[in-house]
Amino acid sequence: MTEELTQEAPQVVAAQEVAQGLQSDLLSELGRNLVTGSLTDPELLRQTVGPVRQILPEANVVKIGGQSIIDRGKSAVFPLVDEIADNLERHQMILGTGAGTRARHAYSVALDLGLPTGVLSVLGTFVSMQNARILHYLLAKHGIPFIEPIQFPQLPLYLVERRAVIFFGMPPYTFWQQNPTVGRIPPHRTDTGSYLVSEVFSARSMIFVKDEDGLYTADPKKDKHATFIPKITVAELEAMDLQDVVVERAVLELMKNAQHRRSVRVVNGLVPGNLTRALEGEDVGTLITAD
Amino acid sequence: MTETQAGDGRHHVRSLLMRESLIDKDLVAATHDHDRLVRMLPDACVVKVGGRSIIDRGRQALGPLAKAMGDALASRTLIIGTGGGVRSRHVFSIGLDLGLPTGVLAQLAIADALGNAHILGTLLAPFGVVAIPPEIFGHLLPFFVKGAPGVIFNGDPPYSIWEHPPPVGRIPPHRTDAGSYLTAECFGVKTFTLVKDVDGLYDADPKTNPSASLIREIGVAELRELHLPSLPFDEILLDLLERARLVKRLQIINGLKPELLAPALDGEHVGTIVHAD
Repeated sequence: MTEELTQEAPQVVAAQEVAQGLQSDLLSELGRNLVTGSLTDPELLRQTVGPVRQILPEANVVKIGGQSIIDRGKSAVFPLVDEIADNLERHQMILGTGAGTRARHAYSVALDLGLPTGVLSVLGTFVSMQNARILHYLLAKHGIPFIEPIQFPQLPLYLVERRAVIFFGMPPYTFWQQNPTVGRIPPHRTDTGSYLVSEVFSARSMIFVKDEDGLYTADPKKDKHATFIPKITVAELEAMDLQDVVVERAVLELMKNAQHRRSVRVVNGLVPGNLTRALEGEDVGTLITAD
Repeated sequence: MTETQAGDGRHHVRSLLMRESLIDKDLVAATHDHDRLVRMLPDACVVKVGGRSIIDRGRQALGPLAKAMGDALASRTLIIGTGGGVRSRHVFSIGLDLGLPTGVLAQLAIADALGNAHILGTLLAPFGVVAIPPEIFGHLLPFFVKGAPGVIFNGDPPYSIWEHPPPVGRIPPHRTDAGSYLTAECFGVKTFTLVKDVDGLYDADPKTNPSASLIREIGVAELRELHLPSLPFDEILLDLLERARLVKRLQIINGLKPELLAPALDGEHVGTIVHAD
């Protein structure tokens, strides 16, 4: 056993030599430490802290709610589509879509049948994709494409050329969706997928377009005494331990570790002008911040 | 069940979850029913072969292990994930130096594990076991393992640019150990084995500390309390195991002792077992 461990294979030795060469020729000590060290070593992980280059700093990620907006049909969707079109000249938009009532139906059937969370994630993706296609056809005359994850390398081109793209909000985790702590509904859904796009691209803003004015102390659809919260930090929100929150809890969790996108805004897309105000950076809806 | 409902301005399809907030605590708790979970592949075994620990060693380590895998395939179904090894570490170092974010590093690393999947796939080709492209792997997995004794995939989960930013630094937290585990859990397989170059989990790094002693079996909570300086697997596996519904244990074995593979696949205790509780 000890013998086997101390006896390094030629390829590993070669790798170490390469790393040593890199250290002197190209990279800092970090390169060598990564090649030879353990990625679970906290000291090594601390060495990977550093500034991130902003990939798409002009782009805004806008998530259009499924149940809250698209399931309402033309009364909610047409004015919002017009408002998106009106903003193309001033703002780049990466538009993600929610799933909504059909995902709830698919989840219900799947839960009843005892299907695992990863399969529910696949089902949610399909519904979110339907909504992306719907939004795509409504904005098609402006030349705005719908892209699937495999087409994301074309996203920067479309943003420069057409000012907006549409994607399905579900993160493409499919069968690799993690189990939630409680229950079987996928914890990382369309809010999370949209938020992670805003984080990885260091986007200018993350705007969630829903059918409430923002965050309340309770679900305003069920509780008439719910109070509006215009601005709150993730820590304050966690301390309140609310029964329900206006964005997926995973977004709040991920914001704490975010390198760039450390605030998100929730606006009411049923009120004309709200999306525009949010894109202009005005204080509308609820601002949730990591710090 | 196909009736639609209106009344609040939203057009609903009637279902158990209709109109509900999927974020509401009570609603989430109501879905906590794991008694009748479907196991898609109850007879299959998921094996993760270490990149740096095994594959980067070349013929010396991978040759005998591939032979043991070939023997095991005669009576078992193997779903084999591969690590990215030293090339992933290198691309991380370049990406970090250039200021690229975690999601981009995760996307880049997929190529290294995929390369290793093809290396192992070449060795196992005589058994009909090859590397499957990630785009079709998940959806067609049950189909493939009915026609072949096993398949190989890049162990990475398809998180790519949707990878989660970690608490410290920028290394993607869901790497090939995590991706292989999530495959095992979702498909409800029989056993999940991590093949590394150590006998299992030690109370210190056996490579630098000769007096380190092997831990034969441990629960996640107990393991957390030990505050070990490093682990021989992706740390996020502890979180994933805690939330396990179907695959509630993993075993780490030494791939430099290929005779341990078959018993580990069958659930025999030949390395370190880490269990959910």
